[in-house]
Amino acid sequence: MPHEVILQAKGVTKRFGGLTAVNNVSFEVTQGEIFGLIGPNGAGKTTLFSCLVGAYPPTSGEIYFKGKRIDGMHNHAVVRMGIVRTHQIVKPFREMSVFGNVLVGASFGSKPKSGAVAAKFVGEILKFCGLAHRAEAPASSLTIGELKRLEISRALATEPEVIMLDEVMGGLNPAEINDAMALIRQIRDSGKTVLMIEHHMKAVAGVCERAMVLNFGNKIAEGTTRDVLNDPRVVEAYLGDHSAAG
Amino acid sequence: MKRYLGPAAAALLVIALFSGPGYLERGSLNDIWNVSLYVVLASAWNIMGGMAGQVSFGYSAFLGMGAYATVLLCLHGWNAYATIPVGMAVAAVFAVIVGLPTFRLRGPYFTIATIGVSEAVRVFAQGVEWTGGSSGRRMPIQYGDFLHKWLPDVPRGQAIFLENYYAMLILAVVVVGTVWYIQRSRFGLALAAIKQDIDAAEALGVSATWFKVRAHALSAALMAIAGSLFAINFQYIAPNSVFAFNMSLQIVLMPVIGGVGTLVGPIIGGVVFGYLQIKLLTIQALRDSNLLIYGMLLIVVMLFEPRGVLGLIDRVVKFVGRGLPKARKEARHAA
Repeated sequence: MPHEVILQAKGVTKRFGGLTAVNNVSFEVTQGEIFGLIGPNGAGKTTLFSCLVGAYPPTSGEIYFKGKRIDGMHNHAVVRMGIVRTHQIVKPFREMSVFGNVLVGASFGSKPKSGAVAAKFVGEILKFCGLAHRAEAPASSLTIGELKRLEISRALATEPEVIMLDEVMGGLNPAEINDAMALIRQIRDSGKTVLMIEHHMKAVAGVCERAMVLNFGNKIAEGTTRDVLNDPRVVEAYLGDHSAAG
Repeated sequence: MKRYLGPAAAALLVIALFSGPGYLERGSLNDIWNVSLYVVLASAWNIMGGMAGQVSFGYSAFLGMGAYATVLLCLHGWNAYATIPVGMAVAAVFAVIVGLPTFRLRGPYFTIATIGVSEAVRVFAQGVEWTGGSSGRRMPIQYGDFLHKWLPDVPRGQAIFLENYYAMLILAVVVVGTVWYIQRSRFGLALAAIKQDIDAAEALGVSATWFKVRAHALSAALMAIAGSLFAINFQYIAPNSVFAFNMSLQIVLMPVIGGVGTLVGPIIGGVVFGYLQIKLLTIQALRDSNLLIYGMLLIVVMLFEPRGVLGLIDRVVKFVGRGLPKARKEARHAA
């Protein structure tokens, strides 16, 4: 089933009062790809993610998952259909263990599990994400790198078809970034579609096949990652215009 | 071995309490009844207020609904125990109706809304005719026959007393057992997730509103049973006893004293508070100022140990540096 559109946004707009955070953005994500979403701070990337999963209702526009319209659905309902996102500012359940955190995803995701089945599944996820040795640790005791992995683990535990990663490499050191890149490829190889917001350009160039660029809420470029990163408009959005950047 | 320590202690306590009439005087049994009532109130509130973290100051409304359902139906010739499900249903339905709009509010706004709703219920009960207005209603004695039939040798007054005693004890065991079960269930996991980060819970597929509605209805229904037993025991109710804001305050205070969100915390809180209450009410000078004392107690707990007595135990244990891993774990799962 490759090359099939799994997620589609048509003219998605999100306004907060007078501020247009996302302006008429349309794009398609193909099943099994790693799709990058980049742009300067405040470009509307996280807001777009929030609209896609139903955490915010879009002001206008339509969102389709495998042909079914999902805009207007609640976040938890979208998760049960098979789309999940992680949070840029990590949101662990601090009083729970790592295991407990991931168990929430396993218990309430697209294929809810309970009892021994859930426990075994959580164990596998933690192993996959390299957190098995921290299973019993309280989430409040994790390092930032571990917390990012916990975000990914919990999201994977919901058994999504589409996983949206919001800056999972922010705050990581170069070795951890390499591990994270490998992990993202493994997630895709396990049959999932990956959308990722990322500021770390080497990582984007390293794992994303295609990418889209937002600036001030508008889509300014979309295409293969290499083309997008070399697009003069994108360079300008990041660095200012050429004369100023030298 | 250690993991059987808690259940074994609990079983011993239950056996001791159930055989209480064999070796305790009536006064002590009365105290146990009162303390059990407080444990029930604290534990039932704890499901919504502690485990799901939705602090409500309006739970006297549900207590009152149970009590009024029992008294009013008994006046129409119902068997007192048959009225309990009616009270539960009324409270649960009301909890859902009130919950759906108020759950949109978060934190203190939700809490303030609950105060408004419960006060409205109290004023309503005072204002209309069929509840007996502010002077309340007395109910006819038409129970105590269960035990009396089984034990015809026991005098009727004693049978009624024992019946009340056992009814409240059984309810306490049921409510604490319910909390114990929820803690280990998928339902409890959802409540814990909602309490700790409602957005993260939603983002993992937890329907926060649905679980809050269920927790609220369950807390309310258990509260209503306590109200029915309250009415059956005292045979008289008035808005200022069961619907009082004072009562709502006490219901919150107990789990807070003991340790919010835990299994054991509300039990400790109920026992400590119940005992204090019994002692305070016998001292004339303190009877009128009990709210002042509760208020100060609340402030002290909030300031120095928000995890309550369990948190205090945790600190002592850590200070001594050994033992009681369960209390520590419980306290950690709270907050």
